[in-house]
Amino acid sequence: MTRAAAPRRRSLHPVAWWLWAAGLAICAMRTNNPFLLALIGAVACFVVSVCRTNAPWSRSIAFFLRVGVLVIAIRVVIEILFGQRGVPGHVLFNLPRVPLPSWAMAVSIGGAVTLESILNAAVEGLQIAVILLCFGAANSLASPYRLLRSLPAVLYETGVAVTVALAFTPELVLSISVVRQARRQRGIPVTGLRGLRGVAVPVLESALDRSLQLATSMDARGYGRRVSLGQGSRRLASGATTGGLLLVAVGLYGVIDSGSLFGLGLPILAVAAVMCGVGLAVGGRRSARSRYRPDPWRRPEWVVVGSGLVALGAMAVAHALNVPGLTVSFSPLAFPSIPLLPVVGILVAAVPAIAAPRAISPSTRGGIADPAAGPPTAQSSDAPQASSDLSGAPA
Amino acid sequence: MIRFDDVSFTYTEAAGPTLHRVTLAIPEGELCVVVGETGSGKSTLLRAINGLVPHFSGGVLAGTVTVDGRTTKENRPRDLADVVGFVGQNPLASFVTETVEDELAYTMENLGVPADAMRRRVEDAIDLLGLQDLRDRSLRALSGGQQQRVAIGAVLTASPRILVLDEPTSALDPAAAEEVLGTLARLVHDLGLTVVMAEHRLERVVPFADRIVLVPGGGAPLVEGSPEVIMRSSSVAPPLVELGRLVGWDPLPLSVRDARRRATSLRERLAPLTPPSPRVAPGAPTAANEMAATRKLVVAYGRVIALDGVDLSFSRGEVLVLMGRNGSGKSTLLSTLSGARQPTRGTVVVDGRDPRSFRPAELIRHVGLVPQDPGLLLYGESVHAECRTSDKVSDLDDGSTAHTLERILPGVPGDRHPRDLSEGQRLALALAIVLAPAPALLLLDEPTRGLDYPSKDRLIEVLRELAGDGHAVALASHDVELAARVGDRAVVLADGQVIADGPARQVVCHSPVFAPQVAKVLAPEEWLTVDEVRRALDGALPA
Amino acid sequence: MRIGSRSSFLLLLTTLFGIAAFAWPLMIHQSSGPNTAHNGDAPWVFVGLVPLLLAIVMAELSEGAIDAKAVALLGILAACFAALRVPSPGINGFEPEWFLLILSARVFGRGFGFVLGAVAFFASSLITGGVGPWLPFQMLAAAWVGFGAGCLPSMRGFPERLMLAGYGVVSALVYGLLTNFWFWPFVGGSTTYSFVPGLGTIANLHRFILFDLTTSMGFDLTRAATCAVLVLVLGRPVLAALRRASRRAVFEPQIEFIDQAGGEPTPALGGRGDPS
Repeated sequence: MTRAAAPRRRSLHPVAWWLWAAGLAICAMRTNNPFLLALIGAVACFVVSVCRTNAPWSRSIAFFLRVGVLVIAIRVVIEILFGQRGVPGHVLFNLPRVPLPSWAMAVSIGGAVTLESILNAAVEGLQIAVILLCFGAANSLASPYRLLRSLPAVLYETGVAVTVALAFTPELVLSISVVRQARRQRGIPVTGLRGLRGVAVPVLESALDRSLQLATSMDARGYGRRVSLGQGSRRLASGATTGGLLLVAVGLYGVIDSGSLFGLGLPILAVAAVMCGVGLAVGGRRSARSRYRPDPWRRPEWVVVGSGLVALGAMAVAHALNVPGLTVSFSPLAFPSIPLLPVVGILVAAVPAIAAPRAISPSTRGGIADPAAGPPTAQSSDAPQASSDLSGAPA
Repeated sequence: MIRFDDVSFTYTEAAGPTLHRVTLAIPEGELCVVVGETGSGKSTLLRAINGLVPHFSGGVLAGTVTVDGRTTKENRPRDLADVVGFVGQNPLASFVTETVEDELAYTMENLGVPADAMRRRVEDAIDLLGLQDLRDRSLRALSGGQQQRVAIGAVLTASPRILVLDEPTSALDPAAAEEVLGTLARLVHDLGLTVVMAEHRLERVVPFADRIVLVPGGGAPLVEGSPEVIMRSSSVAPPLVELGRLVGWDPLPLSVRDARRRATSLRERLAPLTPPSPRVAPGAPTAANEMAATRKLVVAYGRVIALDGVDLSFSRGEVLVLMGRNGSGKSTLLSTLSGARQPTRGTVVVDGRDPRSFRPAELIRHVGLVPQDPGLLLYGESVHAECRTSDKVSDLDDGSTAHTLERILPGVPGDRHPRDLSEGQRLALALAIVLAPAPALLLLDEPTRGLDYPSKDRLIEVLRELAGDGHAVALASHDVELAARVGDRAVVLADGQVIADGPARQVVCHSPVFAPQVAKVLAPEEWLTVDEVRRALDGALPA
Repeated sequence: MRIGSRSSFLLLLTTLFGIAAFAWPLMIHQSSGPNTAHNGDAPWVFVGLVPLLLAIVMAELSEGAIDAKAVALLGILAACFAALRVPSPGINGFEPEWFLLILSARVFGRGFGFVLGAVAFFASSLITGGVGPWLPFQMLAAAWVGFGAGCLPSMRGFPERLMLAGYGVVSALVYGLLTNFWFWPFVGGSTTYSFVPGLGTIANLHRFILFDLTTSMGFDLTRAATCAVLVLVLGRPVLAALRRASRRAVFEPQIEFIDQAGGEPTPALGGRGDPS
C-alpha cells in the first residue's frame, strides 16, 4: 500500500474507472446473448490484466470471478430443482416430483428437465456473473484511497472515518497475531472460545486507546474547523434538500405505479436528484477545507469514460434499430446470431488498455505529464519516486 | 509567546487540582524542557498550552493561558492549530492518512490553505526534515525516528509559532532520538520557533535546552530557570550532572564536551583505580552454565532477513543487554527465543529443548517474554483478576503472582483496571505475571519505555536480584544508561548479525553510540556509572 | 451523538424510502397505462437513489455532531469491523463482525450506531474490493441494524446480553432478508419463485419467501448463530471495554473557566460544552 494515495505517480482518476465499468455493466444488462456477454467479460478482464498494479485491491477481480462461477452454478441447480415445467423441449432427464404443502401453491420440485431450460438458466447466470465482473474490474483498477478523495465535501467526516479505518486495518490484523503470541507467552491456549476472548479483548482495548490518541492529534491539527454559512446559503441548502426529498417521494410513486403521473416519474426524479445534489453541494461549503493536489481529470480520463460510453451507445443504437441477436432464447433451441454493431462497441471499450496511463512503468509518464501540473519543485522531486519500490505489500 | 497567569486546573472527577496556581512565561524562540516524574502533571501542562486541556479533556481551569495573544478560553485546540503544533508520544497514533505526503498536507487542508501554498509548504517541510526519499512511502512502513520526523513535519506545515511535544523520543533508539532532537534544535535556531517538550531521559535534551521547567507534582509550585541553575538542585538529573555535582564542578557541565574539558584532573585521579570487575565472568560460558543458545540462527520474513546467522549463548546468573538500531533484529531474536517464531534455518535451544516444542503451560516455566507493550499480556478486568488467572494457568499456589507483584512494586491497587495503571505499574504487573512461574530464561523487550527514574531504579534492582537467583536475563534496550547499570554482557546487533559480544563494559565503552555519558567523559578509562566513580573516590574500591 | 429534529425527520424519510427501495417488488402496481415499460426502471432508479439518500442523511447526522473523538472512534471501530470481515467477506455466512456493530451501537447510541453501520460497511467493502451498486443497500441495512441496537431498552448484566443476542439473531435474519429482497428482481428467469411484475403483493411475497428459504436461509442462520454466540461469550468483556472507552473519551466534557482562582465560573465560549 506504499503507493496507494500517491497523487504524483499519475494513475487514472478512480471515478473514470468506475464510469467505464458502469458503462460495460449496463451493456451487459441490455443483452443476454452469451457471446456478447462473454466478450464483455473478456474485455473487462483484459483491461484489468493490462492496467492493474500490485496493490492489494487489484486482486479482487479473482474473487469476483469465483463469485460469478458460483452464481452460474447456483442458477443452474435451482433451475433443475424448481424450474417451470410443461414447456416443450429436449428432455434430458426426469427428477422425481416432490409434492409440496398447499402454501407452496404454484411451486413444484422435480419433473422433466429440458436442455432449453438449463441453457436459458445458464445464460441468465452468465449475465449476472458478467455484471459482477465489470464491477470487479473497477474494484481492481481504482484505488480506494483515491476514490475516497473524490467524496463530496459534505461527506468529509464520513470520508475521514473511512480513511482512518483503511489505514488502521492492516495494523489491527498485525496486532491480532502479536496478541496471540503474547498469550502463548502467558501459557494460555489461543484456540477455542476462551482463547478468542483473550485475543479479542486486548486487541479491542488497544484499538480504543488508539482512537483517543488519534482524536487528540486530530483536534490539535484543526479537524472540524468550520466557517458558518450565511443565512441564505443555509436556507438554500436545507430547502433544496427537503424539496428534493419530497419530489423523490412523488417521483417514486410515479415509477412504482406506472399508470399515474402520465409517465413523468423519471423526469421528476431527475429534478429531485439535481435539487438534492445542489443542497449537498451548498452544504459542503460549511467546511473550510482545501484539497491537497486533487486528482486531475485530463484527456486519458475522457478517453476511458468515452470508450465505455461508446460501448453503451452501440448497444443502445442496436436496440433502437432492433438488430437481431441482442435478446436470445434457447427455446426453441437455436444458435444465437452475433450482431456486429455491439461487438464493435464492446471492443472499443478495451481502449483503456492502451489509453490509461500505466502506473507501473515510469517510462509512460512522459506522454501524460502536464507542464501545468504544479510548481517547478514537482520536476525535481520526480526522480526518486519513479524508481521507488512499486510493490504494494500491506504494512 | 506563552503565558500562564495564575492557572489552576482540576479534572472533572479528580479529588484535587493537577495544576495549582501556575504562573509561567516562555518567550519566543526558546527550547523549553518540562521535566518531572510520571503523573506529576507534565502532560496536563503541555496540553493546556493549546487548549486540549480543558476543551478536550473536560475539567475546570482557573486563570488564563495565552498563546501568541490568544487565550485558550476563546479558542479551541482546532482554532489554535495555526499557532500551536502538538506532537504526541506515539507518532503512529497521530497519523490520519496513509502516506507521508498526504499526512504533511492534512493539517493545512483543515485550515483551508490554498492549493499552491500547500504545495510549497509541503516541499519546504520535506526539505527541512529530510524526508525526500520518504514522500510516497506508507506511514506504517517507516522507522520510529522517521515517523516522529513526519509527525513534526505534519504540524510544521501549518506554520505554527509554537511546537509542543510530549516525550517525542521515548520510543526511539539513541541515533534516531539524536536525529529528532537535532531537528528540533535546528527549528529553534533557524526559524525562531518556540519549542516546549516533555522528556524523561534528560541526558538527551539538557544540552539543547534554553530553559527547564520542573514539575514536582502534588500541587507544589513549579521551578523554572536555565538548565545550569535548575540542574544544581534538581531531583532528576542526567548522569553528567550527577558526576559534576559529585566532583563539585561549577558551573555544572551540560554537554559531554564541557565535562571532558573539566575532567582532566578527575581522569588522572581515577587512572590508578580499576573499575569494578564484572559480576560474573562472561565470555566463556560453561556447559553447566548455559541456559539457552542459538546456533547459526536465520529468521526471514519473506525476502527480508531479520536475523542472519546469529550464534549466542545465554548463561545463568547473567544479564545480557541487546543493543542495536530499530529494526536490527533485537525483537525478532527475543521472540524466536520464546518460541513464537520459527527459525528459517539454524537452531534455538532453551533448557535443552526447542522452545517451539513446549506446550503453552510448559513454556512459561522455561521462557518468559515481557513484550514491548506490556498491555498486550493483560486482558483481565482488574489487577486481582490478572493475578488469579496467572496462578491458575501456571498451577501456582493462590496468591503467588500477587506476592511477586508486591515484591516488584508494592502498592499497585488491586481493583484497578490494567489499562488505567501507570506505565511503571503496568510493566510491574506484566513482569510479575511472567516471573511468578519462575522461568529459567527471562526476556524483556524495551522495558524502560515511558518509565521515570525511580521506576527504572526499581526495575534494575529486580533484574539484578533475578540474576542473583540464577535466572538468565536478556533485555533489548535503547537506553544506554540502563544498559550500563544493569548489564553484565552486551551484544550489539546490526542488520541481523552480531557485531559485538562481550563484557558490557568493554562493548559499550568503545562505541560512540552506545557509550553512557560517564564513559564518554572519562574515556579511555572504562567507567560506566556515577555510582562506580563515587565508590572509587570514596575508597570503596582500592587500587 | 445527538439526533436533532431535522436529522430525525431525515432519518424517518430515508427509512421510508429505504423500505421502498428494498421492497418495491411487492408494491409495484401494474396498470394498463401506456408507460408499463417504466416498470423495468424501478431497480435502477433505486440504485441511483439510495446513495443519494445515504449521502443526505450521513451529511445531516455528521453536521456538527461528529467531533474529533467521534470520528476517530468511528474509524477505529470500522477498522475492527473490517478486520473481522476480511477473512470471510460474507460468502459462507460466518460473519463475526455483526456482533461488534451491535455492541458498539448499544454503548454509543443509535445515531452513532447508524453512522457506524454505514461507515463500517463502506470501509470493509473498500478493503475487500466489494464495491458495487449493491453497496449502498448493504450500508443502509447495516445502518438500520446499528440504529436498532442503539434503541434497545436499558438493561444491565446477563439480561442485557440475552437481549442483545436475541436482537443479533433477529437483525441478522432481517439483514439477510433485506439484501435478498434487493437481489431477487435481478435474478430473473422463469422459475416458480422468480419475481413477476404485477402479479400482486401476496403472490410475489409468496414467491420471495420461497426464494429466500431455498437460496440463503442457511447463510442467514449461520450468521444469526455466530452473532448470538459471540454476544453471549464475548459480550461482557467487550461491552466493558467499550463502556470504559466511552467514559475515558468524555464525549461531552464539562468545561468551566474561572477568571481568577476562586472567582465565578463562566461557561466556555463556543466550547463543546454546548449541545450541538
